[in-house]
Amino acid sequence: MAKEGLRQIAIYGKGGIGKSTTTQNLTAGLTELNKNVMVVGCDPKADSTRLLLGGLAQKTVLDTLRDEGEEVELASIMKEGFGGTRCVESGGPEPGVGCAGRGIITSIGLLERLGAYTDDLDYVFYDVLGDVVCGGFAMPIREGKAKEIYIVASGEMMSLYAANNISKGISRYAAKGGVRLGGIICNSRNVDREIELLRAFAEELGTQLIHFVPRDNVVQHAEIHKQTVIQYKPQAKQADEYRQLAKKIEDNELFVIPKPMTQDRLEEILMEYGLMDTIENDYRI
Amino acid sequence: MPKLKQNKNGQTNSINQVRYGCALGALHSVVAIPGAMPITHCGPGCVDKQYMSLAFYNGFQGGGYAGGAVTPSSNLQEKDVVFGGAKHLDQLIAASLKIMEADLFVVLNGCIPEIVGDDIGAVVARYQAQGVPIVSAETGGFKGNNFTGHEIVTEAIIEQYVDKYARNKDQKQKGLINVWSELPFQNTFWRGDLTELKRILEGAGWQVNILFGYGSKGVQEWLTIPRAEFNLVVGPWLGLRTAKLLEKKYGQPYLHLPVLPIGAKQAAEFLRAIAAFAKENEVQTEKFIKEEEKEYYYYMEYFTDFYAEYWWGLPASYAVVGDAAYNLALNKFLVNQLGLIPALQIITDCTPEKYREAIGEQYKHLAEDVSAEVEFAEDGYIVGKLLREGQYGHKPPIIFGTTWERDIAKELKGHIVEVSYPVSYDVVLNKTYIGYRGALTLLETIFTTAISKSA
Ligand SMILES: Nc1ncnc2c1ncn2[C@@H]1O[C@H](COP(=O)(O)OP(=O)(O)OP(=O)(O)O)[C@@H](O)[C@H]1O
Ligand SMILES: [Mg+2]
Repeated sequence: MAKEGLRQIAIYGKGGIGKSTTTQNLTAGLTELNKNVMVVGCDPKADSTRLLLGGLAQKTVLDTLRDEGEEVELASIMKEGFGGTRCVESGGPEPGVGCAGRGIITSIGLLERLGAYTDDLDYVFYDVLGDVVCGGFAMPIREGKAKEIYIVASGEMMSLYAANNISKGISRYAAKGGVRLGGIICNSRNVDREIELLRAFAEELGTQLIHFVPRDNVVQHAEIHKQTVIQYKPQAKQADEYRQLAKKIEDNELFVIPKPMTQDRLEEILMEYGLMDTIENDYRI
Repeated sequence: MPKLKQNKNGQTNSINQVRYGCALGALHSVVAIPGAMPITHCGPGCVDKQYMSLAFYNGFQGGGYAGGAVTPSSNLQEKDVVFGGAKHLDQLIAASLKIMEADLFVVLNGCIPEIVGDDIGAVVARYQAQGVPIVSAETGGFKGNNFTGHEIVTEAIIEQYVDKYARNKDQKQKGLINVWSELPFQNTFWRGDLTELKRILEGAGWQVNILFGYGSKGVQEWLTIPRAEFNLVVGPWLGLRTAKLLEKKYGQPYLHLPVLPIGAKQAAEFLRAIAAFAKENEVQTEKFIKEEEKEYYYYMEYFTDFYAEYWWGLPASYAVVGDAAYNLALNKFLVNQLGLIPALQIITDCTPEKYREAIGEQYKHLAEDVSAEVEFAEDGYIVGKLLREGQYGHKPPIIFGTTWERDIAKELKGHIVEVSYPVSYDVVLNKTYIGYRGALTLLETIFTTAISKSA
């Protein structure tokens, strides 16, 4: 059983928005605060721990299960990464077959049986793929594992649509479980008035913009070296941004049941911050 | 509590006391074709459940060559859900081909692979390409009940097997007909019934593809489906979909006769309608009717003593609870040949909405001066409630129903004859209740039940 006070956090957001990058960088930041962290990748791509492990991919839980059955050692699926992070990839079936959602349920169940949730852990992060697509991907929040959620978003319209939809999922599960939204993390796309838009968006949902992570090429450089920015260039300004994000999460006390917007209201906000205009301009023939 | 949507009888989306199987239950339609073998791709327990309910505690019909404990199954586990079960199915097919002998294999999937998205068609196609006689049918339980499944299976065999291997498809064979009627195993007496149906049709001059049961020549017979002169759908609705498919595919017309004939009157009407439709075999039909009636009324003559003289508690009114085919058939017989009074009719096969109105019409003209209302209900509680509220006059009714109706029959101090799934207090081999011969058996059953109540 997980100990009291263990914070289990799920990171959601539109596909490709920067969930995995942000999660790994911020967990690197948490280890600098002497926190014990486990990162569970909930994505068949199995790329949620690459930066922490220096590319040293461990075998995924589901691959192991498929090849070796239930009699597996925790050590064969959990590898230690940067700063003592414990890294697990749930993995999944090949694209187009099977049920990846069920795979997440299966692998978290196995992690529990194998005793991965030890008492010394301070945080478990679930990096969940793309949008909430089916019941299986909602598993970490549905089963009351992760009680705390952060949505990664940017000033782009589709990312806010996704964030709003994810909020709908959260409020559904919040009614029966204790799951709460801890805030929106803006992973900047350098869109005009992005920070204002995200602030307004977060406020409308009843939550906060917990941190604005700038866009910076050092992230890609670090990625090429299979490292987090904190490891690759500890002095970089971007490393500090992730440290700040880690600190804000550590100190966060604002956990809410989000109030998802209607489509109309969402479009109104986008309009207000000029996003619709830009899009119209973009698509003008 | 949220308000549940209910129909006019108060039925919600949940029912108790099952009256049919799920789409996968149509594996029994494959079992019913001599020489055919189902291969099932489904979770543990699915096949057993369908078998036990449809073929065991329903007349104790048994599994035979390809059913029951014989039917191969992939017995899917969590692994198959996560990674997809296609490979597993592939292994199962390969293994089955090695140790099972059959003229035709039909792969049916249950809910799990269909939800997970296993492409069973693609797996099966590889064997088809090698010339293996095998087809695939997507019978996920959520597609509907075993009636729906039966049509899916039938269509799959026609499209993927018959169409490919049948020869001289457009040379019609005069006098050859395909018969689509009862649902094997679901209709407890299907074996005897189809035999009698074939017998009377052959007697009237037709060559009959009966397609299921002992009287069928199995897969070879299925291959002659395209050559039939027309399709004959006997029953209120099941088989119409298949007939329409064949009409489109092979330009075969079809004749739909909603009443499964019980007794001389109905059987003669039935045979004459077919002859009139095809403008064929008229003379042979009349000749056969005459011969049959001679025999039928020979027995009836002796029976009339009993019917006229025995007045200790014979029922006057009746209720029927069962699938549409048997329900309508019994109503026609009981009204027209026995003069009983229809009190309550409940169809329990989840008849597709689009057929219900036409079926209701049939009950409006049970006889020239007799009309009845029909209810569509499946839930045991509601069926019980309707039966309890029925108006039967001063004598207790006879209920033609299922084992589920036993308690209410007792409560009403009435009689019960089990005619519809589940029939758990009859052991059934080749008994029939239809045609000329079946009608006599039905009379025996009805009145033995009635008089033995006081035994
Ligand atoms: N702040 C940033 N500055 C520059 N590049 C970034 C930043 N954040 C993320 N990226 C880049 O964006 C790309 C996508 O990021 P990432 O894989 O983390 O997204 P994701 O949300 O996890 O995607 P998926 O939904 O596919 O799992 C990566 O190549 C990453 O290097
Ligand atoms: Mg990712």
